[in-house]
Amino acid sequence: MNNRRLILIVEDEDGISNFISAILGSNDYQTVRARTGREAISLAASRSPDLVLLDLGLPDMDGLAVLKALRAWSRVPVIVVSARGHEREKVEALDLGADDYVTKPFGTSELLARIRTALRHNLAAAAEEPGAGAGVLVIGDLTIDDERRRVSRAGAEVHLTPIEYRIVLLLARHAGKVLTHAFICKEIWGPYTNENQALRVNMANIRRKLEENPAEPCYIVTEIGVGYRMVDGAGSA
Amino acid sequence: MDRGEEKRPDPDRILERIRAEEPRRVGRLKIFFGYAAGVGKTYAMLDEAQELLRRGVDVVAGYIEPHTRPETAQLVSGLPALPPKPVLHKGIELKEFDLDLALERKPEVILVDELAHTNAEGVRNRKRYQDVEELLQAGIDVYTTVNVQHLESLNDVVQSITQVYVRETIPDHLFDYADKVKLIDIEPEELLKRLNEGKVYRPDRAEVAMQHFFTSQNLRLLREIAMRKAADRVSHEHQPELRYTEKTAGVKLLVCISASPSSAKSIRWAARTADAFHAPWTVLYVETKESELVGEEARKQLRSHMELAERLGADIVTLNGHEVAPVVAEYVKHAGITNIVIGKSRNPRTLRSLFESDFADQLIARLGNIELHIIADTAAPLKKSARPAAALGRNLDFSWRHVLTLLALLTAATLVSFGLRAAHLGEQNVMMIYILSVLVISRLTPGYLYGVAGSVLSVLCYNFFFTKPYYTFNAIQAGYPITFVVMLIVALITSALTVRIKTQARLAAERERRTEVLYEINKKLLVTRGLEPIVELTKDYLVRLFHRSAVIYTRDPVDGWDGASFRQAAEEPDASFLMTADERAVAHWVFANQKRAGAGTDTLRGAGGFYMPVMAQSKVLGVIGLSCREGRLLDQNNRIFLRMISSLVAMALERQALSDEQRSILIESEKEKMRSNLLRAISHDLRTPLTGILGASSVLLENEGRLAADVRRKLIADIREDSQWLIRLVENLLSVTRIGESGASVAKTPEAAEEIVAEAISRIRKRFPERRIHVSIPDELLLVPMDGTLIEQVLINLVENAVKHSGADSLIEVTVSRQSGTAVFEVSDNGEGIPAEELPHLFESYVSAEKKRADSSRGMGIGLSICMSIIKAHGGRMEAANKPEGGAVLRFTLPMKGDEAL
Repeated sequence: MNNRRLILIVEDEDGISNFISAILGSNDYQTVRARTGREAISLAASRSPDLVLLDLGLPDMDGLAVLKALRAWSRVPVIVVSARGHEREKVEALDLGADDYVTKPFGTSELLARIRTALRHNLAAAAEEPGAGAGVLVIGDLTIDDERRRVSRAGAEVHLTPIEYRIVLLLARHAGKVLTHAFICKEIWGPYTNENQALRVNMANIRRKLEENPAEPCYIVTEIGVGYRMVDGAGSA
Repeated sequence: MDRGEEKRPDPDRILERIRAEEPRRVGRLKIFFGYAAGVGKTYAMLDEAQELLRRGVDVVAGYIEPHTRPETAQLVSGLPALPPKPVLHKGIELKEFDLDLALERKPEVILVDELAHTNAEGVRNRKRYQDVEELLQAGIDVYTTVNVQHLESLNDVVQSITQVYVRETIPDHLFDYADKVKLIDIEPEELLKRLNEGKVYRPDRAEVAMQHFFTSQNLRLLREIAMRKAADRVSHEHQPELRYTEKTAGVKLLVCISASPSSAKSIRWAARTADAFHAPWTVLYVETKESELVGEEARKQLRSHMELAERLGADIVTLNGHEVAPVVAEYVKHAGITNIVIGKSRNPRTLRSLFESDFADQLIARLGNIELHIIADTAAPLKKSARPAAALGRNLDFSWRHVLTLLALLTAATLVSFGLRAAHLGEQNVMMIYILSVLVISRLTPGYLYGVAGSVLSVLCYNFFFTKPYYTFNAIQAGYPITFVVMLIVALITSALTVRIKTQARLAAERERRTEVLYEINKKLLVTRGLEPIVELTKDYLVRLFHRSAVIYTRDPVDGWDGASFRQAAEEPDASFLMTADERAVAHWVFANQKRAGAGTDTLRGAGGFYMPVMAQSKVLGVIGLSCREGRLLDQNNRIFLRMISSLVAMALERQALSDEQRSILIESEKEKMRSNLLRAISHDLRTPLTGILGASSVLLENEGRLAADVRRKLIADIREDSQWLIRLVENLLSVTRIGESGASVAKTPEAAEEIVAEAISRIRKRFPERRIHVSIPDELLLVPMDGTLIEQVLINLVENAVKHSGADSLIEVTVSRQSGTAVFEVSDNGEGIPAEELPHLFESYVSAEKKRADSSRGMGIGLSICMSIIKAHGGRMEAANKPEGGAVLRFTLPMKGDEAL
């Protein structure tokens, strides 16, 4: 009946809640609000939203606890809203299953971009057949051909080592979404290894090979203290 | 804000601090004092303990001597008791008081019977009273029992009365220092009755005791002594000032001691007399050449005399000299002594005593109006057998060089005499020449041997060459024997004089050397700053002066290793045993008990080193340990020297501690000032954008519908701009809190420099999209340990400043490079640059009263000073300069630990 997506806003500050609602409403989303963690969990269960915006600084429960509860039975995309300076919280949330984050204070365009990305990935994941290759990914100038294992930028081929290729592919598959250091390490090198240093080194090499100006990367963006994000072809920050 | 108020400290807090710094409470000692065994001291003590127990005080029986009296034994039951420590000694298991258990248990009051008991070997302290001292030091009150014959100063008096030698004594100062002394008294007849009834000793021992000790006469006398002692205490108690200030007619006592056993008696007598007169007293020992020859037995005796004197509270002085009497006389005159005490034992009359005058006579002869007290002693005199042979041996050094000197001089003399004869200059001068030669021989050679040999030989030469008949050994003329004798005497006297002068010179030189060393140490310590250098300097001197390895602790070793500093002496075999856990335990004991311990003392004698506390104002600042391996104990002389050195060190350490404290107070107040400055600056900076927001939003709300669209837009854009400014400010503040309390701790993780720069620039671009910013990074990856968020903050601040201070079309450059071990970040613009007068104050967070503060200058002030703090906390440096081609450049560096670049 109603084609609009439903977004659950979990935020105890009325002011912020108001303006997020306004933005989302004017961008063709439907919204429902929760002020406490418990309310959030019950609303998520009853209303089944398409995305949850979760503020980590809730009065009654730890935001992370809400996230854990949600993830126990739902794969609904969750974007956490955190305050600046609480990096560890963000990383923890991402590792616990959150899809992305925004930092207060955030610009509206940023928020909208993240929501779009999260929804898109979710749909893609739902529609994916298990075991299928990703085919060809195009992000801006960048083309990643998984079947032939080739990466090219503006037509020119870029030579990547196997590890570098896997990293680029991983980021591209989750384009627009932030991936934590821990996640990337686990995916590339396996669990129970700590290859942080190797990751940095690899990222530096990738930047030098892919980016026009490695000092101002436009494809792979660093999120200090959290991880890396490949920009969305649809233009996100 | 009222400036005056912020400076005034809070009086309550000061009181609290003073109270906290008060010395730890020391335990109180109560002595139950009696004149003999069996008067009921233990009974009274236990009785009181039971009373305390009923009142709910935490009383524990530490050690009670097993008593035969059933009434006493009954009182023991019901009291919580510590199990005694079994100690194996020569196959017998003895039970001793368990001190460590008591210290652990830490009761309010503990009962320890028989204060004068000597502990078995293997126990930490030699005497039980030392155990009690430790308990008191730990803040535990102690009840104990003492018999009158156990007091050190009364020991010989009691002995003379009872003919029983009591070896276990306690130093008088313990008795005097005790908080309460309760005299337990019964009639002697009553005591004898008890003895008969077997209530004091077992029946078989009672018999023996009755005969010697427990006679009616003895008991009465002992009772009198005990009562008098207690009465003395009472009168002292009530006149505390008199005790310290009144010196009766300026009496000052001096006791001359030697290794002879009679000295002990003199010392005790002097102690009692000094106490009665409230006079200071000194113990003097004169070291002569002979004293180096005494045997080990005598040396030990001397050491025990000195320790006795120390225990009884005397000053100890050791002087050197050739003869005892003149040295003593000198000292007496200089120190203002009024009474001299000497001991005298009956020496067998020897040939020597015919020639030497009595020591007492010598003193009187030199000192005239002095009161001399002679304490006769009937104990056996010191064995003198060892002395003469050794003495002779010392003076019979034999070396070929001296023989040559002798012969050469004699030959010279002979030749000169021949010359005289040939020149007819008078034969009487020949004798003079020979006498002169003997003089010179004695002067140039050590000991008596060569002088005497020289005189004999010269007499023979004279006889042979110069007396008629020539070239024979006959002496015809009547006067010649006299000549010979005279020459011999001359030789002997000169030799003796020379020997004495040389000795004195040597002794004086040694003394001077010592004083010089002390002066030198003092001078050096005065200019040494810093704990490390003081300790190093002290170690240097200790090893040099005592030729032993030394260890110095500046902190109790129980708090950690880093307080210990060790130096191995070159002359010694490996002394690293000084750093083992056992030795550290001894040092810890010294720290806790403020007394010396280790080899050669009464405590922890088995240790490998001798440890002495360095004290100032009854606080232990450190402990000095000297290695005494292979039984080389420190003699009294060295100990006194060490003590003098340690007092110098104490002063230096104290001074260091005070200056450290002062510095930390200064730093604290600096930080406080900085913090309040920062808060002031921040609140000022907060008001401006808030005013703007409030203003713009009010206008919009009140004039709804009446404003033109572009005006409305402008106002809203202003609100946004101001909000962003506030966000930046808040982020800066948050950065400050991340730096941490001490201002020097930052959580660093290795981050890629280029990633930090990239993120910072991307955020700047979001705010100022139209500005030209050029970023360049090196080819190699720079992994720099840093707090990524903070450094990003710094970069954002710097670039924002550049944006605000250069024209809209100027180029801002951000570069990262590496120079040896540091990463260098530079932000430069080509705007107007920084005004010269602001350059030195750029990084201070001043609240400027500049009225010409335009919008654009909002970037300065707090932002840069916070950047400086962040960089400093990372251990890096930050600076600003103007480029020669125009524009400013701000640069900061971060250390890269080790080579982390690829």
